[in-house]
Amino acid sequence: MPPLDRTAQQNKTFKQRKSFATRKMEVEGIRSKFPNKIPVIIERYEKEKNLPPLDKTKFLVPHELTMTQFITIIRNRMALLPSQAFYLLVSSSSLASMSLTMAQLYQDHQDDDGFLYMTYASQEMFGL
Amino acid sequence: MCSAENADLPLTVFIGCWGKCPASFGIPQWYFTPIGPAGLSAENNKQDRVKIVGMDAATLTYDTLRFGEFEDFPETSEPVWILGKEYNALTEKDEILSDVTSRLWFTYRKNFPPIGGTGPTSDTGWGCMLRCGQMILGEALMCRHLGRDWRWAREQKQREEYISILNAFIDKKDSYYSIHQIAQMGVGEGKPIGQWYGPNTVAQVLKKLAVFDTWSRLVVHVAMDNTVIIEEIKRLCMPWLDLAGEAAGEGEVNGCLEGACALAEEETALWRPLVLLIPLRLGLSDINEAYIETLKQCFMLPQSLGVIGGKPNSAHYFIGYVGEELIYLDPHTTQPAVEPCEDGQVPDDTYHCQHPPCRMHICELDPSIAAGFFCKTEDDFDDWCMRIRRLSCKKGGLPMFELVDSQPVHMVSVDTFNLTPDFSDSDRLERFFDSEDEEFEILSL
Repeated sequence: MPPLDRTAQQNKTFKQRKSFATRKMEVEGIRSKFPNKIPVIIERYEKEKNLPPLDKTKFLVPHELTMTQFITIIRNRMALLPSQAFYLLVSSSSLASMSLTMAQLYQDHQDDDGFLYMTYASQEMFGL
Repeated sequence: MCSAENADLPLTVFIGCWGKCPASFGIPQWYFTPIGPAGLSAENNKQDRVKIVGMDAATLTYDTLRFGEFEDFPETSEPVWILGKEYNALTEKDEILSDVTSRLWFTYRKNFPPIGGTGPTSDTGWGCMLRCGQMILGEALMCRHLGRDWRWAREQKQREEYISILNAFIDKKDSYYSIHQIAQMGVGEGKPIGQWYGPNTVAQVLKKLAVFDTWSRLVVHVAMDNTVIIEEIKRLCMPWLDLAGEAAGEGEVNGCLEGACALAEEETALWRPLVLLIPLRLGLSDINEAYIETLKQCFMLPQSLGVIGGKPNSAHYFIGYVGEELIYLDPHTTQPAVEPCEDGQVPDDTYHCQHPPCRMHICELDPSIAAGFFCKTEDDFDDWCMRIRRLSCKKGGLPMFELVDSQPVHMVSVDTFNLTPDFSDSDRLERFFDSEDEEFEILSL
């Protein structure tokens, strides 16, 4: 088998890399081992240029963790300044209220495969 | 509504403005559509039109050539909202135009003194978001010093406050909020001169520049992480509350207390006027439609300063909406830089948009925006909070940001650790790993 082309792999989204069945199995497995944690996928918006990539995609987070806390963790991980724009969009579309807990988000936004998907991005630039 | 009634108004302003002036060069369509009881005959309209076009010809600029892009304002019974004011498009067209024309319109300029001494002398092709930042702050200064209901009229004697506001934006290095100041302050935000800005970038820069504007004494607050924290804002706008407690009667604290005392007569003395800017991202590539109603409501609040944002790549200053369309001022016209006259008056014709305001469908909006609000007094701010709370209780539309009383607990001790081969759970987890060796990172509280 040829060596895995990591760059090509990394440019694909998690969903593109794995089949629905695999993802579903993965969630079932991890949920049975960690019933008090929520499986979250965090990916960088494909067109994002300002924010660095995260070294991890898959997170297991406590039910009671709030969006504020979660965003603080990720902001710290990327060493962002408080004045830098950082948005975590749930299911690629909405800004979750910062006081919501992961359990609440999971209830409303979990994917059919059982993961909670989030995408991060800063802001677009304008000039023309 | 008809031209004859506007005889004492600056006709050149009204024309052309509402008219659709494409190839036929300046035939205001609505002049042929008499509205209301006083509808004039087409004959009269035509005469007026000719006269007006004639007058206007003297002041035609290349901007006029762009008029072809501007559609006449729609004849609709739907309400028109401009920066917190509601208008009827059928009966208040003049009022709408007068309101729009009264806003400060900052566009690309050329032939200004080089930025930083040796830098660009024009901002065409890069400065549109900086200009939008100037427009939203300019609106705040107008509300601060002239009031929301102030109206511009061509060649009227300029009030002192108005001149001071214009001077704050003139394209030279020492104006408070000039393109020079904004571009140079942006370097500290990681934006070399000439680079494109986002709404947050310009908001952060304006926040820094406002500190030096001792005349306006504004607090420019940029609410990050789509969260507005009431306590934080009250501390910023009334710093003497905290300081008075600490200093226990000491005379002066950084000039703030002194300033407050000096203005004690004024209602605003105890509150530094607030410019609240909220940078947001309402979707990834397209705006999430769930936000559209909430976005419209922004323009309905009396504290509204509008929204800076744009279509992808092109920045606009959104001042209102009608139906499903946003109304905006567009900085994408290059005009020559303006020098103040020797008598102190500023030639200000080019600082007011005298053609029909541009419109675009809300769905074309790039999701990266910053919404702005102005609260001159503490009561204004309390009222804003009350209105935002009321909106978030209403069904329909997703809140774009959250309003909270105090700082959420940010500094939680969160132990983060990666799974490692000697971690006891690793055996159990192993079979879930695939060939990509992707691991879960476990976060614990």
